Formats: sequence, C-alpha cells, structure tokens
Amino acid sequence: MATAEFGSLDEVGEVELMDSEVSAPVRKETEMSARDVSVWFGKRKVLEGVNIDFPKQTVTALIGPSGCGKSTFIRTLNRLHELIPGAALAGSVLYEGKDIYDRDIDPVHIRLKIGMVFQKPNPFPSMTIRGNVLSGLKLSGMKRSDHDDIVEQTLTSAGLWTEVKDRLGAAAGELSGGQAQRLVIARALAVQPHVLLMDEPCSALDPASTLKIEETIRELSKDVTIIIVTHNMQQAVRVSDYTAFFLAAENEPGHVVEQGATTEIFGNPQDQRTLDYVNGRFG
Amino acid sequence: MTITFDAESLPALQEQRIQHPWRKKTPVFTWSVVLATLIPLVIVGALFIWGDIPGALLMTVVYLPLQLIASGFAAFATRGKRGILDSVIIVNAIGATIFSLVILISVIGSLIVRGFSALSAHFIYQNNVYVSPSTPLEYGGIGHAILGTLLIVGISALIAVPIGIATAIYITEVRGRAVPYVRFFVQAMSGVPSVVAGLFVLTIIVATGAFEQGAFAGGLAYAILMLPTVARTAEEVLKLVPDDLRTGALALGSTRARTVFRVVLPAARTGIITAIILGVARVIGETAPLLLASGYADSTIVNPFGGPIAAVPTYIFNNVALPYPDAVARAWASALVLIVLVGILFVIARVVGRGRLSSK
Amino acid sequence: MSSTETEYRDLKSAATSHRGDRVFNRTVTLAAFTALAVLAGIAVFLGLQTIPAFESQGLSFLTTTAWDINTDPPTAGIWGMLYGSILLAVVGLVIAVPASLLLSIFMVFLAPKRVATALTNLIDLMAAIPSVILGLWAFYILNPSAEEWQRLLNQYLGWIPIFQNTSGNFLGTPFIAGFVLAIMMIPIITSVSREVLARTPPDLINASEALGSSMWTMLRYVALPYGRGGIVGGVMLGLGRALGETIAVFFVLKIVFEVNWYQIIESGGGSVATLIVSRFGEVSGEFELSLLLAAGFFLFVMTLIVNVIANLIVARTGRLQK
Ligand SMILES: Nc1ncnc2c1ncn2[C@@H]1O[C@H](COP(=O)(O)OP(=O)(O)OP(=O)(O)O)[C@@H](O)[C@H]1O
Ligand SMILES: [Mg+2]
Repeated sequence: MATAEFGSLDEVGEVELMDSEVSAPVRKETEMSARDVSVWFGKRKVLEGVNIDFPKQTVTALIGPSGCGKSTFIRTLNRLHELIPGAALAGSVLYEGKDIYDRDIDPVHIRLKIGMVFQKPNPFPSMTIRGNVLSGLKLSGMKRSDHDDIVEQTLTSAGLWTEVKDRLGAAAGELSGGQAQRLVIARALAVQPHVLLMDEPCSALDPASTLKIEETIRELSKDVTIIIVTHNMQQAVRVSDYTAFFLAAENEPGHVVEQGATTEIFGNPQDQRTLDYVNGRFG
Repeated sequence: MTITFDAESLPALQEQRIQHPWRKKTPVFTWSVVLATLIPLVIVGALFIWGDIPGALLMTVVYLPLQLIASGFAAFATRGKRGILDSVIIVNAIGATIFSLVILISVIGSLIVRGFSALSAHFIYQNNVYVSPSTPLEYGGIGHAILGTLLIVGISALIAVPIGIATAIYITEVRGRAVPYVRFFVQAMSGVPSVVAGLFVLTIIVATGAFEQGAFAGGLAYAILMLPTVARTAEEVLKLVPDDLRTGALALGSTRARTVFRVVLPAARTGIITAIILGVARVIGETAPLLLASGYADSTIVNPFGGPIAAVPTYIFNNVALPYPDAVARAWASALVLIVLVGILFVIARVVGRGRLSSK
Repeated sequence: MSSTETEYRDLKSAATSHRGDRVFNRTVTLAAFTALAVLAGIAVFLGLQTIPAFESQGLSFLTTTAWDINTDPPTAGIWGMLYGSILLAVVGLVIAVPASLLLSIFMVFLAPKRVATALTNLIDLMAAIPSVILGLWAFYILNPSAEEWQRLLNQYLGWIPIFQNTSGNFLGTPFIAGFVLAIMMIPIITSVSREVLARTPPDLINASEALGSSMWTMLRYVALPYGRGGIVGGVMLGLGRALGETIAVFFVLKIVFEVNWYQIIESGGGSVATLIVSRFGEVSGEFELSLLLAAGFFLFVMTLIVNVIANLIVARTGRLQK
C-alpha cells in the first residue's frame, strides 16, 4: 500500500499513510522528518542513518531497548543535542521543509516551535505554578498580553486546570510528580509549539498519573505533532498512531529496524527482532 | 504494512563524516564578530599610541563601553534583540575575569620585580641587628623573622591541630548530641577577625600576667585562627572515610578509640595533612594578631617565652612605609619570601589533596 | 522484654562501656567545645574591657567620634570608626559583588573546562595572598593610579555628592580602602557563588534551553534564583571578612576622628579594626588600651552577627538543594 511512497526516502512532503482508527488511507502532511541522521558523542557513533517522517498532528512512539539512542535522537530534533560537549551529527532534520541545522536557522526559534518534556518532571522550583506556565514567555522574551488566558488554556490542555486553579500562586515544588509533569507539559504548550517531544514522560509516575498524561497526549494530538519515547509497550499502543523501533547491536550504533503504523508494528511486525521486542522477549 | 530498513533495502548510504552543523556560521555572523572585536581594539590601540590617556583609564572608560556597544550591535545583527543582553553579560563577564587576573598578576608581578632586587642569600639567614632603615642591602636579613614565623606557626599548630582534629572526630566519629552546636561554633569562630584574636590574647596577658608578648602569645593568637580551618577541613576528609571501615573494625572487637586511631585516621592520612597545611596557610601571613601578641624584635629569638619576637609579616609591616628605599626593598623582598612560602603550602595541599581524590 | 527505649539506652551505654572509650569520648568532647570556650572567652574578656570605656564615656563611646586621651577628662568615641568600617565594606561590596558574580558566571557557563579549572586555582591563590602583602602592593602600586582615577572622577563627576573632594588630597580615601577590600572579597564571594551556580540542576538548564532561553534569561530566571541563597551567604562571608580586615586598610586609609559620611574619594575615613592597630603602637597607657579592647569587642560583635547570618543562610540553602 503505502510502502512504495514511504520507502522512497528522498520524497518530502505529503505521503499516504494509514490512519490508525479509520483504517482508511488519509493524506497527512509531514510536519517534520529526519533524513539520514547519524549522531556521535566524541568519536563514538551512537546512531546511524535514521530516517523517519512525522506526519502532522499525530503521535509517533519511539521504542527500543535501553541505550539504543532514543533520547539522543529526540534531542537532535530540537537542537538540544548540540549543547552536549563533544556532540556531533550528520544528515538533516527537516521542519516545514527546511533543514533545522542550516546555518542561518536560529536554534532558539526551533526550540520554541518544537517543545520538549523530559523524563523527570522539572518545574522551576523558584517559580509559582503560574510562573512556571508563563516561564517560556519570559525565557524566550516573547511578548504576549493575555497571560491569564494562556495559563487557563494550557493548564486545561495539560489536564491540570481543575486541580490547581485555586492555587496558581503556590510554589511549583508543592505539586506531586504527576501534577508536576502535567505542569511541565503546560509550560511547554504556553509558547505554542507545533511539535512536542516527550522523552519517557511517564517513567517517573504512578499508573493513575500515567493514564492522565496519556489522555492529555491524545487530546493534544489534535493540535500538535507529538513524538514520544516510551518503554511501555501498552502505552505506545494506547497513545500512538505510528511507531518506530530502534535497536543497537553491541558496540554498534543504533538504527531504526522497523517503522510504520502502530497497529502494524504491534500486530504484524515484519522483522523478527521487532516481534521479539514488542512481545517482551528481549531488551 | 510496515517498512523495515535493512541494509540492503536502504539506498546506498555513503559513509557519513562526523559533522557539527551548528558550528557553521553565516557570513553576517563571522563579520559581526570580527568587526566587533577589531573596531574597539583599533580605536583604543590608536588612542593608546597617539593619545596620552593612562592605560587603566583607557580600558575602563573607553574600551569597555566601546566593546559593549560593538558587541551589542553584533549580537543584534546576528540574533536580534534577544542577543543584546547576552552580549552585555558576556563582555562584562570576560571583563570581570580580566580585571581579577590583572590584579592578581599585578600583585604577584610587582612582588617578583621589586622583591628580587633585595633578595640575596644572606637576606634569608641574617638578622636585623645593627641594621637601621638606611643600612644598604649588603647587610642584614630576615633570618630572625623567618625563624620567628616558624616558631609561632609551629606553636599554633601544636595547639590547634590536635584540638581541630579532635573536634572533627567528635563530629564524625563520636557523633554526640551537640554536633550541630559544635559545627555552629566552629563556623562562628572562623569569622573572628584576626585583630580580635590578637586582642583576646592580649587581654589574657593583661589579666593573668602568666606570660608576656612573644612567640607563645603569637602562637595562641594564630591557633585561634587556625583551629576552625583545621576542624572544618578535617571534618570533610573524615566524612570521606567509608563507614564499612568503621563497622569492620568494630566488628573485629576494636574499641571506638582504637578504631579511630588505627583505622579512620590512617585511612584519611593525606586528607588530614591537607587540613594541617591549609590551617598553616591560613595563618602564615597574618599580621595584626602578631602586632598585638608577639610584638617585634630585630634579634634572633628562639625561646617562646623570651619576649617580643619578629615574624615575616610584622617585619614587612615595619618596613613598608619607611622613607628609605632600602628598607622598602627589604619589605618587598620579604613579601616575596612570604608569598613563596604560601605558594609552596598551596601547591603541597593541592598535590596531597589530588592524591586523596584519586586514591578513592 | 523491656521497652524499646530502655533497650536503646542499653545499647548506647554498651558501646561506650569500655574504659578507654570513655576517656576518649570525654577528651574529644572537651576538645570539641574549645570553639565555644574561645568565643565565650573573647566575649567575656573583651566585654569586661568595655566597663572602663563606658564608665568614663557613657554611651557616647558608641555614638560620638573623638579620640582625645590626654585631655582631662579624656574623650573617646568610636562611632566614626564603626560607621567607617561599614562604609568601606559597602564600597568594597559595590565593586566585589558584580565582579564576583560575573566571574563565576564566566567560570560556570562560558569558559571551557580547562580555563575554568585554571581560574579556580588562580582565584584560590588570590584568596591566599596575605593582607600585609596586599597592603604593600596597594601602598606602592595601587595608590598612584588610584589617585589619578579619583582625580578624574572628581573632575568630571564631582557634582555627584559621593565624588566630592574639597581637600585636593586623593590618598587615604575610603574608595581606595574599599577597593582593596573588594580584592579580598572577590575570591571569597566567587568561590561560593561558583559552586552554587555549578550546582544548578542540569534538568533545569535543559528545560530552560528547551523553552528558548537566552544566556541572560536563563541566568535571570533559573540559575540566579536557584542559587540566590548561597550567593547571599557568600556575600555575607565576604562582608564579615571586610569588616574585620585590619592591615591592608591600615596602609591605604587615613584614619580621621570625624565621620566621613559619604565622600568616598575624600582623604580620611574610619575603620575599627585599623584604629586598634594604628593606636596600639603608641598607646598612652592602660586606659587607652582598654578603650582599644572595648573597640575590639564591638568589632567582634559586629562580625559575629554578620558571620552567623551568613552561615545560617549558606547552611539553609545547602539543605534545600540536597
Ligand atoms: N552525554 C553523552 N556523552 C556520551 N555518550 C552518551 C551521552 N548521552 C548518551 N550517550 C550514549 O549514547 C547512547 C544512546 O544513549 P541514549 O540516552 O540516547 O539511549 P536511550 O535509548 O535513550 O536509552 P534509555 O532508554 O535508557 O533512556 C548510549 O550508548 C549512551 O551511552
Ligand atoms: Mg533515554
């Protein structure tokens, strides 16, 4: 079906893909894509030739065993990777059709368009809940006047509004882990990103908070493109439209073994290693 | 249907080279940086050569503002408004660093340049008897003051080191109920101004009459300053000794005291040495307490209770403001000797300290 | 079985039941209280010396400024010296705090690792320069150029009250003394704030980078608020050092017994610590000596308060950051 188009890697722009729910081919524009991305730390190559397209307003899950380079990959997508001393990279990351690593691109602009949520909830401890939501505006120097609206909207989108609306002035440190993580999501949304990167956002959370955040993700995907790293297979199935499976052989750089609609990856994987992994047989 | 990427199915990938795309700069960026560095430098250089403005003034009043403006423009050209404040921070941070380095270099440099002229072999071992401020540099030296410093520091170490280490042992080994208070008092003690330490010893002398100004009194005053440094550093190093060693020794039936002396202290030996050296380095240049507690003398004295005695800092103090070039040269030379002493202690502490870290 | 409490007590006494251990424990405990004993000793011995001062001068010993010991009756008041110490410290802080903060920002966030390590060592070396050497340097090297700067300051900015100078003498000014104090404070404040800034969790820095922060906004909203407590503590430690500094100030400040309220580039100022050393050399008798000891007592109290506050702040932020 879509194989031909998807397989021709140089084709950028619209591709035909399966919609996981309707299971009828729909056209989704590509929001961003990685082209032959290879990554080094010093002389050590940790990722090789990664090619993935991320269609607009969908959720893509990145799965794979520990150490195969998922976090590294996701950090190349919003230019956080380059802040690590010794980091190097080849290939290109296209966003809105342009390589974000072009020399005339301002990384700050990219980071604002492509937000990120980290594994450990990391609200700014010296700010209030409200201050945290608005911190992106302050940090990036964005001018917007409708602060109250932003706080309410983003906290609502992050599924936290009802829990904190009466104590927006409280220190962010008072929140539970799950609440803090949703606050961080709200914070990332406040600068109106088009893409949201999430690196194991639920791994430090209890099951109830995890479900809450999964709901949030599903809800958010109506507006933003989400790329999420997860070790939780059920979670990948629950939240994602597409899945890419990363794998690194011992002392070899990681690469994408198989990618496609989540239903296919989990229901009908083509590669034996994928089958083993999604069924919990290794990694 | 999914897509798998096996080596064969990939369009032949040519071997990729390591790249750092973010290091590629636009011409605007390169030119902005070049111009922002060169223009202020050229202007200030021209003013320095052809104008007659003193160097320090030129740097602070002309160069710094000029550099701020130039970098601000460059930052604006490359990164927009956001860049301006960053460039202000960066220029000022570099400026503050250079400022501190210039002062450090000026101090050390002037010591070397001015100190060397008066330095000679006999300067190190002769004393100051028969030397008046106008005596030429061929005669006299600071041998008596070096001896005095060694004596005073030695006495203070004899007092402060055992007490300091015992204090650290109380905090890390005995772990009594008063630990937070003991810590608090040690810290408060480290804030006692050195002149107050001297005054305190003076009041003891006045009140008891048990001894007079001299090396012992000076050593007491130094001990007050040394004790907190030794105690705090020793506490840090004792904390690094793993608890397994202690429980191991106790499990073998060792008493607490024996555990401390045979196991804990030996394990922390180099750290304890560092603590002692840092304590000595803390006091060795102190002047005010000695002016009050040990006085001054021109002759060589070895008896701790033998009356007023000179030390290197007080010798410098007495020579600094004399209206005789040779006396001043003596001050510079002894300052050089003092800073070399401090420097040696400093390096030993570093080397010993590094050994401690790497052995862990 | 007895209650857990008695059981616990049994264990504890068992641990120290050995006779050698009891002796050891007592000796060490005794030593541990030396610090308290010394502090109390200073407070009592110097405190007693304030009695003659207050008996002859009353409260005016603290509120007036005079030092006429040989008149009858003698008058003495150290207000100008106490105030002068504070003025010098303020001048020093105004220079040292921004310089140290910028220096530590450079070391933590801008410099390559090797440069930062080298700088750390150099700053430690700077902290180790004895004050008498700094005084010597200031007297011969700093004074001439400082005289020049101050003259220019007065020439162009003399209309600002703090830059007034009527005597035409630009040596021995609070500005020079404050500058020397700044040199002593910079390494202290820098080493504390460098450590505090370096402890900013990478998590938070990452988060702020991901939100498109610039260097300035990251410092302003993340790193500095996070390290604020520690930095304030470091500044207080530096302040304590500045208030007690004696010798370096001795060489560059002209002690005058009138209050120099704000004219920092006017010759003459005060400093309690320096007063003590400068009068001690020619002390006229037991009475004047006890006045100096009394001055020392107030210096002790002043620095003790500053240091205790500083240490409380540093300790509190240390706990918060764990
Ligand atoms: N800062 C770094 N410096 C050097 N090597 C690094 C760095 N960060 C990661 N690596 C290496 O890169 C490889 C990929 O790491 P990465 O964190 O991307 O794995 P991951 O797939 O996210 O694993 P996990 O599921 O455990 O989070 C690992 O071998 C790791 O050792
Ligand atoms: Mg990871």
